[in-house]
Amino acid sequence: MASSAIKSGALVSLEEIHPSSPFFKQGASLRVTGKLQEYSVETAIAIVIDGNANLKINTQHLRDLSFRVGSVYQFIGELLIQPDNEAILQARVGRNVDGIDLNLYHQSLQLLRQFQADHLSTP
Amino acid sequence: MDQRHRLYNTYVKLLAFDLLSLTQTPSHSFSEAISFSRKGTLLSRIETVGTVTYRELKPGKFLKFAIDDGTGCISCVLWLNHFSSTYFARRSPPDVRLIAEAANRFVAEIRLGSVARVRGRITNYRGVVQITVSDVIVERDPNAETLHWLHCISLARKCYDVGTPNK
Repeated sequence: MASSAIKSGALVSLEEIHPSSPFFKQGASLRVTGKLQEYSVETAIAIVIDGNANLKINTQHLRDLSFRVGSVYQFIGELLIQPDNEAILQARVGRNVDGIDLNLYHQSLQLLRQFQADHLSTP
Repeated sequence: MDQRHRLYNTYVKLLAFDLLSLTQTPSHSFSEAISFSRKGTLLSRIETVGTVTYRELKPGKFLKFAIDDGTGCISCVLWLNHFSSTYFARRSPPDVRLIAEAANRFVAEIRLGSVARVRGRITNYRGVVQITVSDVIVERDPNAETLHWLHCISLARKCYDVGTPNK
């Protein structure tokens, strides 16, 4: 079935997307969450921030999503690493997640990773 | 009821990576033909929450979609052939109409990018574990997925893994 070709977006925080990170791979499927700082209608490029980190998102393939600066969004897509080592996420789905508890989200990400690691080490 | 069957026929909350690692057991004399084993315990039904990242509709036949919960992608199939299949022909027509109406409501709600809570039977299609959907609710609360991860972890530690051979 074609859906088996759909890769799961690995849950990462924006600060983990940098050249020396294991997530920084061409075509890696990622899920990111951040506050919209800037959006260009002409280029369909959004910039989201979380803490000190930011990431460009290509939103050209997204439908039915309105962009409001200051709102929090979540995107799933593939990482495109450009020749100058700048990364941009080519989003295939996105949604407004205003009201998300980001502290809980980040803490839960860590718990999730620990749980997966424990599960893999116990057959 | 023996320990092996204590989670059978209840909607177990599993993360995608966990569901996709289940092993199918050979059919036996218990009520359902297919069951899946997780650390020695038999499962037949599951509840998942995640983002819809794939959608393929064949009207009158089925809706196939994928749920990405951040740990993996789960294939789901919602059957829409209520009025043409021999499986549904065995049930009473008013019941089949209700099931068909519910299924068609689900089709309208399952859209790319939406977050859905899906319940169904665990099945196998061409070697891949999938869900045959019985129920769908769209989750609008942005914290629903976070809470689902925490539920899955908590249930695994306090309930599903308790008394299993490897823990």
